[in-house]
Amino acid sequence: METLELNQQPMLCSGHAACPGCVEALSVRHVLATIGPDAMAVIPPSCMAIISGPQPFSSLRIPVYQPTLEASAAAASGLRRALDAQGKRDTHVIVLAGDGGTYDIGFQCLSSAAERNENILYFCLDNEGYMNTGAQKSSSTPHYARTGSTPEGKVTRKKNLTEIMAAHQVPYAATASVGFLPDLVRKVEKAKAMRGFRIITLLVPCIDGWGLSDDGGLAAARYAVECGAFPLYEVEDGRRYTINRERGDRPVADYLALQRRYKDIDSINVAILQDEVDEGWRRLRRQVEMGAEA
Amino acid sequence: MTAAQAPMLLTGNHAVAWAARLARPQVVPVYPITPQTPILELLTDFHAEGNFDAEILTPESEHSVLAACIPASLAGARVFTATASQGLLLMHELLHYAAGARAPIVMANVNRTVASPWAFWPDQTDSLAQRDTGWIQFYTESAQESLDTVLHGFRIAEQVLLPVMVNHDAFYVSHALEPVQVPAQEVVDGYLPPYKPVNRLDTELGSSWGNVVSQEMFCRHRQALEQGMAQALVAAQEADREWGALTGRSHGIVERYRCDGARVVVVTMGSMCGTAREAVDAMRDAGEAVGLLKVRLFRPLPVQALRVALEGVPDVVVLDRNHSPGLGGILHQELRGALYGVKSPPRVHGILAGVGGVNVSPDAIAQLVHTALTTPPQPESEWAR
Amino acid sequence: MNKVLIRPTWTHGTTEVFKTGTWRASLPHYVKPPSPCHQACPVNGDIAEWIGLARARDFRGAWDVLTRHNPFPAIAGRICHHPCEAACNRGAYDESVSICKLERAVGDMALEAGWAYESPAAALNGHIAIVGGGPSGLSAAFQLRRRGWRVTIYESQRKLGGLMRYGIPSYRLARKVLDGEIARIVALGVEVQCDHALKTAADLDNLRATHDAVYLAVGASRPKRLPNLPDRAPWLMDGAEYLARSATGTPPALGRRLVVVGGGSAAMDVARSARRAGHDVTILSLERADQMPAQREELAEALEEGIALVDGAMLAAAMPKVGSGLSLSCTRVQFEPGATRGQFTVKPVAGSDFELAADAIVVAIGQDADLSALSQRLGAEGGLLTVGNRQTTSADGVWAGGDVASMARFVTEAIGMGKRAALDIDRVLSGASADTAASERPVGIANIATWYHPKHARAAELLRPAAERVATGLEVQLGLELEQALEEAGRCFSCGECTHCDNCFHYCPDLAIRRVNGGYEVLTDYCKGCGICVKECPTGSMTMREETK
Repeated sequence: METLELNQQPMLCSGHAACPGCVEALSVRHVLATIGPDAMAVIPPSCMAIISGPQPFSSLRIPVYQPTLEASAAAASGLRRALDAQGKRDTHVIVLAGDGGTYDIGFQCLSSAAERNENILYFCLDNEGYMNTGAQKSSSTPHYARTGSTPEGKVTRKKNLTEIMAAHQVPYAATASVGFLPDLVRKVEKAKAMRGFRIITLLVPCIDGWGLSDDGGLAAARYAVECGAFPLYEVEDGRRYTINRERGDRPVADYLALQRRYKDIDSINVAILQDEVDEGWRRLRRQVEMGAEA
Repeated sequence: MTAAQAPMLLTGNHAVAWAARLARPQVVPVYPITPQTPILELLTDFHAEGNFDAEILTPESEHSVLAACIPASLAGARVFTATASQGLLLMHELLHYAAGARAPIVMANVNRTVASPWAFWPDQTDSLAQRDTGWIQFYTESAQESLDTVLHGFRIAEQVLLPVMVNHDAFYVSHALEPVQVPAQEVVDGYLPPYKPVNRLDTELGSSWGNVVSQEMFCRHRQALEQGMAQALVAAQEADREWGALTGRSHGIVERYRCDGARVVVVTMGSMCGTAREAVDAMRDAGEAVGLLKVRLFRPLPVQALRVALEGVPDVVVLDRNHSPGLGGILHQELRGALYGVKSPPRVHGILAGVGGVNVSPDAIAQLVHTALTTPPQPESEWAR
Repeated sequence: MNKVLIRPTWTHGTTEVFKTGTWRASLPHYVKPPSPCHQACPVNGDIAEWIGLARARDFRGAWDVLTRHNPFPAIAGRICHHPCEAACNRGAYDESVSICKLERAVGDMALEAGWAYESPAAALNGHIAIVGGGPSGLSAAFQLRRRGWRVTIYESQRKLGGLMRYGIPSYRLARKVLDGEIARIVALGVEVQCDHALKTAADLDNLRATHDAVYLAVGASRPKRLPNLPDRAPWLMDGAEYLARSATGTPPALGRRLVVVGGGSAAMDVARSARRAGHDVTILSLERADQMPAQREELAEALEEGIALVDGAMLAAAMPKVGSGLSLSCTRVQFEPGATRGQFTVKPVAGSDFELAADAIVVAIGQDADLSALSQRLGAEGGLLTVGNRQTTSADGVWAGGDVASMARFVTEAIGMGKRAALDIDRVLSGASADTAASERPVGIANIATWYHPKHARAAELLRPAAERVATGLEVQLGLELEQALEEAGRCFSCGECTHCDNCFHYCPDLAIRRVNGGYEVLTDYCKGCGICVKECPTGSMTMREETK
């Protein structure tokens, strides 16, 4: 194999309080390194906010503003406009928000910022639950997953954020994963070079919340993509779909078996999940076709 | 429309919009709500004409408006916004946030009844219910005063690093037309130095805002905020004096109107002051020694000024166009607290007058004063009949 | 003393003040465990290292590493039985790396470019006698001469090479290649005396008296005979003789229909040489095809060349027929290999007799060592000189290796023994003590992050078409083209040999791995012991060790 050549600058510091093996810290390390020093980050209450460090220390080398939980996209919009007013139009404003602050409480202002095509680059660090407060469900938690507030498994399906953002016709909406690092870096670089509202949802397996070994985060991240549960794809201008990686033939059951949050899941439900993943791919392919026709 | 030396006929809201334009804010997030909308509409007109350079953004709610204001301000941009009633309430979480962030945002608030039930009438409960949030609060009685006070607001806010709320009553001030002196841009430019905070979100500095603090840090931060409020008191007086020197118009932080020798002083805020002036004039004409103390600066509460103004006055009648359930009239109760322990304290009568936007005429005020003088003062506020 | 109050908002400093290394219970370490190919290799050949150099297009560097242990890469790349490939971790993933072919590619490149060995080190005071100029003796000579010792090879045949010249046919090993790799060793200043055999115990005494050490690599040249065949007959020849005479360019004139008895490489060599000499050939082996000691490829190629195979059968008797030809009485057998190499049991299957017609029989069932002289001075058992694991014999100053001391009858095993003997001779003559390093566990497939190695088939084996082979006698197995070799080198997992892929560096959530000169370092102040780095290492060059405080 070849050496991973990444054109990066280290923008995350050691000494942060992430759990050992935290995939979120690893993901953010690479997002920040690719974005570089001419940037500011908006980080709402979340694991990332804690990882950002206790006063007076920061683990990020760029300025960070921490808003209230429901306001990330709004705060980022205000910050963006201030920088624009100061002539700093090239300074990136990025958001590093969790799924709670994006799919749920932060959803309203997210939709507005997307509709207004605010020039911000939004990263959703999606660990599929409110992990910072002890792993309760969010609307990003998948079907049948056990969480602190759904001890018998969540009865509803995961909300599809990328599709919702595509429906807002934002310039760029994509999924990515640090388990597929070159693809992640490519997407960050691509989004970085664009203007307007760009959103990348990163799947972040949570060691503690999902029940993985300290070194098991990347395997879960890769199985998620390989089994098709988390397709890697991009949508440009709400229309042009690109699937970045074909699904492999790994069954969804393999992916579930890695995680304590699916322990003892009924085999009927496993079959339902497999069907849901398959149906999701059929829809995705239809969208690729429709985008190509346009 | 261009800035002119001759007075312009403006509503309170339009006067606010003019002040905002002249202050040259860089970021103006804004969301419409009756009866604030003419402020934002005039600003967007100015912007469309090319006379207003700010980044105007229109988020989907007032909460998002203030959420956008705070980091913009922390990045070193001058920020203005306006709201009313429900919008202000929706911002409540962020009002605390902005003050804690020491963000010098200036916000105009049109005092309107608070739901439920639904209504659109003048009532000051909306902003008074925010008195613990750490915002400096002014209550104005005229369009001219609103314009002047918005400009004072930027100067004070940026000096002490606390946000300022300029309140005027729905319709009575917001929609009533009057001749307004709109100052020249150069005058305002001279009056408001550029905003350049030492601590700010800047890639050159690398410093971050919002990381979790310890108990002891939090406590010290609150102490510093309190100091800011003390400085605001001084800054407000200085800003008013300086503006007076530039324009001939000075409003004070409280205003004593015909209080010399008064046996009764009516104390109130906002548009009620205008009505009270008329009532005072009528009673004076009838030989009664009545005066008016207008409270213009409400936060920080100008305790000393209140004590000085009211000590030795036999009776004080407080008119509250607001209501705090279980407490009564807010100005009434705060005044009682401010006057406690003063030598020769007045008898303080608190009246809930005009709550919900009920009209209070000069005659009604005179009647309230006469009735108050014949009844012993109660600790509780009484409803005007 | 005034306590410095921390400002409650606006950061000024980084989290690097927090030494999160205090959290961990185990720490990753960079290690260099042996690769399984290296351990299986008869010369312990640093395989991952030289393949890595080849992958980086530093073929000279690769050759330098290869020839650290084996001076015959072009030869081994053609005829080695490649136990490395059986042990290769990639075999458990998709297909083993074509290591043997890669060695050939590097060896061939060296010959073509005329790369020579570095001049020997400063002359040391010691003269070593090497008896036998086959692969084992030449390997020992190479290792000793390059270290500065004076070396003389005493070779009984007219030319150096041993079985490489006289046993392995040129369609497996071109003469030019053989001569080139031998000449390169001699060019270091090895003295050679050909036509010089050790015949008696007194010859050995004499060598010991006139040299500081002796290495005996005389081979095993007494052919095993089938007891139920006559000692001599015009239609009967021993395999070694057949091959030696073929090597001179004149194949023996035997009858057209040839039966070759035997299942090993020698039998294959005989059969295929005979085929090229125009015979109809049948191989008769006790072992079933899958049990034959010959390499799978050798048998497959033999069959492609039109050689018939009668496996799992024994020759009971051979009788000349009236007129011409022979009748061979054969019986099917059940062959069971024994516990040690060379031992086996054979059970005839009742009622399975059959006849084979032939004109000549060549018996290639192995050779014994001639210990008549040597056993007078040295310990021997089971037809072999007894040697320790550093090739020492029972006599001081005498080492032995190759077919005379081992049943591992492979050229590369012999080369390995020659190297081990030479290193021990060098050690003893220098007065150094023995190294008692314990043997390490090799890298297993579980230590390799296979995610980083997409599945990829092994380089296709290219063979000369069978008809062309028989007609021309040219080398059967074709080497890899450069691009194929590079691609194949890219398939090597590099077990235990860091490839500087930077995975450990990039995948640490705590940035607790730093790149330092030519390698990496764990920042113990920050490492939380999560183990991701070890999991992501594609070469098995990291391991977690518990830390006890």
